[in-house]
Amino acid sequence: MNKKAFEVQFNWIFVLVAGAAILLFFTVVVVKQKNVSETSTKASVLKSIEAIVTGASVSTDTTNIIDMPNSNIEISCGRISVGGISRQYNNLVLFAPSLVKGDRLITQTLAFNAPYRATNLLYMTSPQLRYIIIGNSNLAKDINKTLPAELRKEFYPSMQQIQNSNNYKVRFVIFGDMMAFPKSLERMPDSDVTAVRINGDTDKGVLEFWQKNGNSWLAKGSSAYIGKASLIGAIYTDSLNAYECNIQNTFLRLNLVTKIYSEKTKKLVQKLALSSRQAECSKFYNNALAHLTRISAASSNFNKENVDDIAETSKLLAGENKNAQVYSCTLIY
Amino acid sequence: MHANILSILDIRMNKKGQIQIGETIAVLFVFFVLITIGFVFYVKVIKGNIEAEKEELSQLKSVGVAQRVMFLPEVQCSEDNIIIDNCIDISKLDAAQKLMKENEVYYYDLFEFSDISISQIYPSDAKWSIYSRKTNDFKSRFVTNVPISLYDSTIRKHGFGILTIETLAR
Repeated sequence: MNKKAFEVQFNWIFVLVAGAAILLFFTVVVVKQKNVSETSTKASVLKSIEAIVTGASVSTDTTNIIDMPNSNIEISCGRISVGGISRQYNNLVLFAPSLVKGDRLITQTLAFNAPYRATNLLYMTSPQLRYIIIGNSNLAKDINKTLPAELRKEFYPSMQQIQNSNNYKVRFVIFGDMMAFPKSLERMPDSDVTAVRINGDTDKGVLEFWQKNGNSWLAKGSSAYIGKASLIGAIYTDSLNAYECNIQNTFLRLNLVTKIYSEKTKKLVQKLALSSRQAECSKFYNNALAHLTRISAASSNFNKENVDDIAETSKLLAGENKNAQVYSCTLIY
Repeated sequence: MHANILSILDIRMNKKGQIQIGETIAVLFVFFVLITIGFVFYVKVIKGNIEAEKEELSQLKSVGVAQRVMFLPEVQCSEDNIIIDNCIDISKLDAAQKLMKENEVYYYDLFEFSDISISQIYPSDAKWSIYSRKTNDFKSRFVTNVPISLYDSTIRKHGFGILTIETLAR
């Protein structure tokens, strides 16, 4: 009887062990499959972003809303990461906040002209991020118009009482004097509330980067912008480092494209000498060559002086191009 | 006598128990064999899907490179900063060739392992190789041919040519 009882108990233990082995097997399979599926989702998000980056280089002045799996995209200088998967770029021009959250992406592209198109600037953000534009200048209105309507943006001609609407990040864009820190946002983490103060016009100007520090603003440094496209870039990025990294890459691109236009202009001068056609053109081309050399030198490094130099020389070069058009010469760009 | 019957019964009971355990082990064995066959089949299907996805990704990359070349300011035609689609400026090509060779690492980020060349068909035959970085260690190769207009801005004349983009994927 004792032996029978032992046999029955052994049977139950055997069933238990076998059942546990089967359960363990399926648990391992499910966990592994879950990990594979998560990695696959992250990889597909990264693939979509790569496609967006490629698309951006071929389309100017476009805004796209892209649906994607809910994810956190981390963007830093030349690097895009989704979960543990990341893609490194040497010279990526992508103006975006450090973290893009949610299941929708807003992308925008604008051409960077100085005065010829050097590259397209790509901007990326989330509709969950809040942009507050404060200012009543024409530039403020123009920037508000240029930013996509799909963006979670608010425009106030003057300082207003700001309410907390539970956004994961808030970006202030201030034209004019710096405002006091809004009381309603004091509980947000310091890195999630940032501001950029703009002082300039559509051609060039100075940018001041600020970040929340308890219940006040902390200055994070200043930089410069050239043209509306780079100014919009300063609005999308939430740190001085990210902005300067992107603008450095833009300047590198400008430097390369300038070399091409210099060579092309030299060819135009040579062809004129051969044909002795339209002698006036030669004057414009030689002037243009001098301007291109200046832009090439100034675009080798990004700083305030070089920005001023390029902005000024671009206008002169645009003038030479106009003159070439008036005299029916081949255009420089 | 009574003890003998009990011992025979005990042996039979033991044998019956052993047969039951043997049956259970056999069932479990068959169960795990079926699971393994299913798993092997699933892995094969997944591998096939991954291969198909890889192929698709390579094709996508190839199209991406072709798009980038077509819209590259270094070679594109423009009139007063207005871009002319599907047009390459011949007067920029020599400079672009030299520039891309000098800045190979920079352009590798854009074109990766590929060979980009332009062949003029009309009015005369000519060929420019603007970027070439190849690898022997490639698994797929795609060639994209794009008919383009070739504009010589120095003499203001249009020609016709083919932009050939060969991309290699590892």
